[in-house]
Amino acid sequence: MDRREFVIGAATLSANAAASRIAYAQQTGAPVEKRSIITSTAQFDPARPEIARLVAQACKSLGWEVEANPIDYNQGIQKVIMQHDYEMFLVALAGSAIRIDPNFFVYAVHHSGEHKRGGFNWMGYKSARLDAVATVQSRFMDLEDRKRPVFEAQEIIFADQPGTVLAYPQITMAHRSDKLKGLIPLLGEGIGSFWSDINMEVTGDGYSRSGMNVDVKHLNPLAVNDELEFKELSIIYDRLFRIGPDGKPVPWAATGMKVVDSKTIDITVRSGMRWHDGKPVTVEDVKFTFEYQKKWKAPFFLAALNNVVAVELPGANTVRIRLENPSAPFISNVLAAMFLIPKHIWAEIPDKAGIDDPLKFPNDKPIGSGPFKFDHWRRGSELKVSAFREHFNPPKCAGIIRIVYGSHDAIAAAIERGECDRSRYILSPALVDRLKTVKNVVARGYPSHGLYHLSYNNAIKPFDDPAFRQALNHVMPRKMISELVLLSYSDPGASIISPANAFWHNPAVKVPAEDVKKARDLLAKAGYRWNAQDRLLYPRT
Amino acid sequence: MTAYVVRRFCAALLTLLGVAVILFILFRLMPGDPTAQILSPALDEAAQARLKQAFGLDLPLWQQFLIYLKNLATLEWGRSFTSGQPVASLLGHWLVNTLLLMSTGLILAIAIGIVLGIMMAARRGGALDIGATVVGLVFQAAPPFVIGILLLITFSYGMELFPSGGMFTPGADPGSTWALLTSADFLHHLVLPTLTITALYLVTPMLVMRDSMLEVLGSDYVEFARAKGLSPARVLFRHAARNALLAVVTVSSLILGFAIGGQVVIETVFSWPGMGKAMVEAALQHDYPVAQAAFFLMAAIVIGLNFLTDLSYSLLDPRIRLGSA
Repeated sequence: MDRREFVIGAATLSANAAASRIAYAQQTGAPVEKRSIITSTAQFDPARPEIARLVAQACKSLGWEVEANPIDYNQGIQKVIMQHDYEMFLVALAGSAIRIDPNFFVYAVHHSGEHKRGGFNWMGYKSARLDAVATVQSRFMDLEDRKRPVFEAQEIIFADQPGTVLAYPQITMAHRSDKLKGLIPLLGEGIGSFWSDINMEVTGDGYSRSGMNVDVKHLNPLAVNDELEFKELSIIYDRLFRIGPDGKPVPWAATGMKVVDSKTIDITVRSGMRWHDGKPVTVEDVKFTFEYQKKWKAPFFLAALNNVVAVELPGANTVRIRLENPSAPFISNVLAAMFLIPKHIWAEIPDKAGIDDPLKFPNDKPIGSGPFKFDHWRRGSELKVSAFREHFNPPKCAGIIRIVYGSHDAIAAAIERGECDRSRYILSPALVDRLKTVKNVVARGYPSHGLYHLSYNNAIKPFDDPAFRQALNHVMPRKMISELVLLSYSDPGASIISPANAFWHNPAVKVPAEDVKKARDLLAKAGYRWNAQDRLLYPRT
Repeated sequence: MTAYVVRRFCAALLTLLGVAVILFILFRLMPGDPTAQILSPALDEAAQARLKQAFGLDLPLWQQFLIYLKNLATLEWGRSFTSGQPVASLLGHWLVNTLLLMSTGLILAIAIGIVLGIMMAARRGGALDIGATVVGLVFQAAPPFVIGILLLITFSYGMELFPSGGMFTPGADPGSTWALLTSADFLHHLVLPTLTITALYLVTPMLVMRDSMLEVLGSDYVEFARAKGLSPARVLFRHAARNALLAVVTVSSLILGFAIGGQVVIETVFSWPGMGKAMVEAALQHDYPVAQAAFFLMAAIVIGLNFLTDLSYSLLDPRIRLGSA
């Protein structure tokens, strides 16, 4: 060919190449942006940064870059829960007793109305179908009736994947078998549960030495809002109901309950109960408890008490509670949580105590009607309670001394030496592994309904696309997280209600297969593509 | 002399005020909202607003600052965010615990350090001189928890001679603080932490004393004392050491100040509920009142000790007392 033809040929080829490149670019969207996972630091929870890194690594297999971002715990709460300024959030939703009722995981975490500053629906999940089902389940007072919407809610949430459940961790704890017998674990609390406290038999002087690495902050039953204080106050103060070892509320300071209609509950209060100072517990005290906590806006129960219209005393031993709206969780979240306080002491607070707010009352010598009475509290060192023999169900042991240790290692060392006979709450899994081999020590994991949850900010790309979230479900390294990071004291997660919560868990929701190809297929079907460097690209708009 | 004291006192107060301002700014600059610690997201808006109001967090910044200054001066240090209890009583309690922990160890460290320093200077280059320097530096270079844990492994877990931590055996609460201090149980618990602290802080007074002594030993009046025929011990202790002590006094006051607040590691290793641990926890939890007051207290102690040091100079050094150079 001559020069002219060559030039024309070359120009045509270039033009074609350019055109096809432009055409290709128009078939695909921009690359999916790099995203970060906010989580706590290793000092707060050694597992979390590791889990975040494993997830970030797994996302690479989709051609999508993710980084782990461990920050100060408070900062995390501020950014995620208060400001909703985040992309992904790795959090541990603890298995506390009041979360055994499914209302928390189904309603509080997923109802669109809870997407507010400080609310638990920080993901911004909005599903009309879920909203309806969640509301319905909270209104059914009958357990069997409630099961159906709760099961349905789990399926909806799992299908939509507004966030994803990564693991169901156990509570790892240890105790000395030569000192303690008869421990009864409770879902989410292990052997540190109330049932253990009152049923255990202790050798020696009868006082159990239970170790914890953090001290209680205060002993004020109105100001309580943290599991730490709930646990200790719940043995000094009594409750109308208690969450039994199987996770269902059982009557305790009450002998029975009647649902008069969906908005009225009649509670029969047990007779013959006494406060630790000897005075009798009356229905007046119960009425006072509700009204006082509502009047002073006790932070933990504020929302629930706003639903209480009136508390009446129709009979000698009966308390009638009138609600504005029917509320199924009322029994387990309020009646089984609120502490009965003595009218003859608290009526004078705050006026006679020289403060302006009962929340500030130090309550140095708490007087309750629970099975243990307060002995002394040396801040930072120990809290001692002794058995209250006049209680209707007195403990089998002589009392409990709650000792504060400097660290988990110090607790483990003390258990090994025999100075401490039980860990009050979680002991790190690595230490529990080590203590397994020690003679006379039982160290293991106990079932819990808590879970590790990876929340997506549903308001931003790419998490606003359900197809993207569903694809992510299949690359999450659940097996590695449970085996490597949580040392097998955990199971891979799926449904928002843990299988440990047997009554409410929907067995139809199964752990998804870890299948990168399936994830890629789901993405491809939704229009996502990959460029030459295998970088994930948005669908063409 | 009075003018001197008054001048030093005013300087101390001004320094304290400066510290107070810096602390206030520093804590407000920290990222993370303090309300996030006590206002669990489980609480709704009304509850959060209520707690915010109860703790005075809804006031504008300049108002918070004025209240802060007023409270500092009147020892009304507010209430802890986490426990709601008065900070002053909390800090007092922790300070006592830390003082109990530190005082024996520090007094021993300074006393032994001074004596060793004198002896080392007397026989410079000798076995004691080199040996003590090496051992002392090793202990100081080692992290506190290493020494503490090594002692625990050997004497507590290994030989089971001493308890593994805490201020006293759980459940054996003797009642009043005085009964506590004099109980054998408490002293038993004090041994290992004291050994750790002594080992850690020994080398500074020791080496400072040694160097100060060497300098003094070369001066004219010491030579004159020797020439007069005084015994070596008398020369060493009555003449040389008294003058060399000035340097150690200065250094000791610095050590004491930092030791009060900086023992978080030892307090963690020995499960001792003291100020170091409390300060670190308060800072991490954004418990502003406690953290601010604790840091301020520590600054006040350091400044106070410096002031006392200045005063003690006048006792030790007649040149200062008489006002001449």
